[in-house]
Amino acid sequence: MADDRDSDFAAALRRNGLTIPQERREIMRDAVEKMLGLLKVLDDPLAYEDEPAALPRYDLEAKPHGVKS
Amino acid sequence: MSAAPLPTLAEAGRQIAAGDLSPVALTEAALARAAALQPKLDAFIEITAERARAAAHRAEKEIAGGRRRGKLHGIPYGLKDIYDAAGLRTTAHSRLLLDNIATVDAETTARLEAAGMILIGKLATHEFATGGPAFDLPFPPARNPWNTAHFTGGSSSGSGAAVAAGIVSLAMGSDTGGSIRLPAAYCGTVGLKPTYGRVSRRGVAPLCYSLDTTGPLTWTVEDAALSLQVLAGYDPRDPGSADVPVPDYTAALRDGIKGVRVGYCRAFSADGEVGAEQSAALDQAAQTLAKLGSEVSEVALPPNTQFQACARTISHSESFAIHHKDLQERPELYARVTRERLTLGAFISARQYVQAQRLRRILTRKVDALFETCDVLLTAVIPGPAPVLEETDDGPWRKQQPLASVFNVTGHPCMAQPCGFAVDGLPLSAQFVGRHFDEATLLRVGHAYEQEADWIRKRPALATL
Repeated sequence: MADDRDSDFAAALRRNGLTIPQERREIMRDAVEKMLGLLKVLDDPLAYEDEPAALPRYDLEAKPHGVKS
Repeated sequence: MSAAPLPTLAEAGRQIAAGDLSPVALTEAALARAAALQPKLDAFIEITAERARAAAHRAEKEIAGGRRRGKLHGIPYGLKDIYDAAGLRTTAHSRLLLDNIATVDAETTARLEAAGMILIGKLATHEFATGGPAFDLPFPPARNPWNTAHFTGGSSSGSGAAVAAGIVSLAMGSDTGGSIRLPAAYCGTVGLKPTYGRVSRRGVAPLCYSLDTTGPLTWTVEDAALSLQVLAGYDPRDPGSADVPVPDYTAALRDGIKGVRVGYCRAFSADGEVGAEQSAALDQAAQTLAKLGSEVSEVALPPNTQFQACARTISHSESFAIHHKDLQERPELYARVTRERLTLGAFISARQYVQAQRLRRILTRKVDALFETCDVLLTAVIPGPAPVLEETDDGPWRKQQPLASVFNVTGHPCMAQPCGFAVDGLPLSAQFVGRHFDEATLLRVGHAYEQEADWIRKRPALATL
């Protein structure tokens, strides 16, 4: 089980092209486990009609910051 | 240095209008306080003295010539150093942006400048509004004016310190998970997080697009109302901005709160592991509101764990997306704590992000339902007084259960303001929450409570030297 966690942790870092200093790996892995424990509430099933809060808006007037109208 | 803290925005505005106060003298007093207190507080990343003096002379000339722009004309303010001000650096308290000179004002900066306010400096923050307090950055963390050994709260740390110390009466903050309200609470000031979309975020370094909110830290609720009057309004160039009319925020400020229905989220304090002193102070605040004629009843928020799962998933995912490239290519430039907190986003799946956004909508509806029988909510925003700075959590995962991000998840406007003091002399804080875009009622309740409780008379000793 501990080996699975180690390999999952290493795989996520590798997939994202990230490194963690060796002396902080244990602390980071522990933090990730605590975070994923909190996020278990997101496994609860939701109804089809429960749509995400972040839905598209069409900002026809939008311009990048720094572009003067 | 001036012996007294700067006057409130309202008082300074009245004195300037009457010709009893000079914007030049007021700005010099602010600059003198900023310089004198900087060695103790580290509130500023940059003090913009020459720019401030030039602006103060312009304001004085305009006002003397009968061209007073409004109630805030000629009054100094500060910006958290994630806000752009044309010609000045925006560092976000980070090595990554040490040479980042803004070419255009943030929309909020532009509104404050158009109102005639005078920028005296850029204020300390947690790195990119998330990593801190940290001691391995080019600038030190800000210190709490009530006790410099203690945490200011964050991430608008310099903003809280500067307002509490009476250097400025308005400092801008940003709030993704409590970053306006936490420094306000720990430093004993007012901190207003407006409704998501009420105040533009354009030109402010992002942390999490769907949770970021900008707003003011002030000494009084009236000053928060005066600030919001200038700041609020639709910005078509901010994709999160809402096209909703802006009311007069001071019109009903003194109408009292007789008959106002206050929902006291008392059980949330136990759910959020709030300490005995802070809980007792909230109970006392509820009694004060009842004494003023409001109808106080207890109401229940959904479990904090649901809000935290939402907030953490969304915030870590979006901030990781923003910083991914720099985390890959130059991670050593971040503070350790920033790098680690941002890296947590690498471990969240797309499924979890979408589920969090779905749960967010459900939680927002549940909180909205409370407003069918209440006009405002009263809740905890901090578990107790500010911890010692060096003992503040600096790991990737925070040990203390956050309370403030509940209303970032739902987008409701909310305001932290003082509600007493702990035995160690540090401030305690209450949070009022309003319906979406009903900041006016929130401010009215906050003002009535503030006037009755009168905590604002007490300033940190350091500020009255």
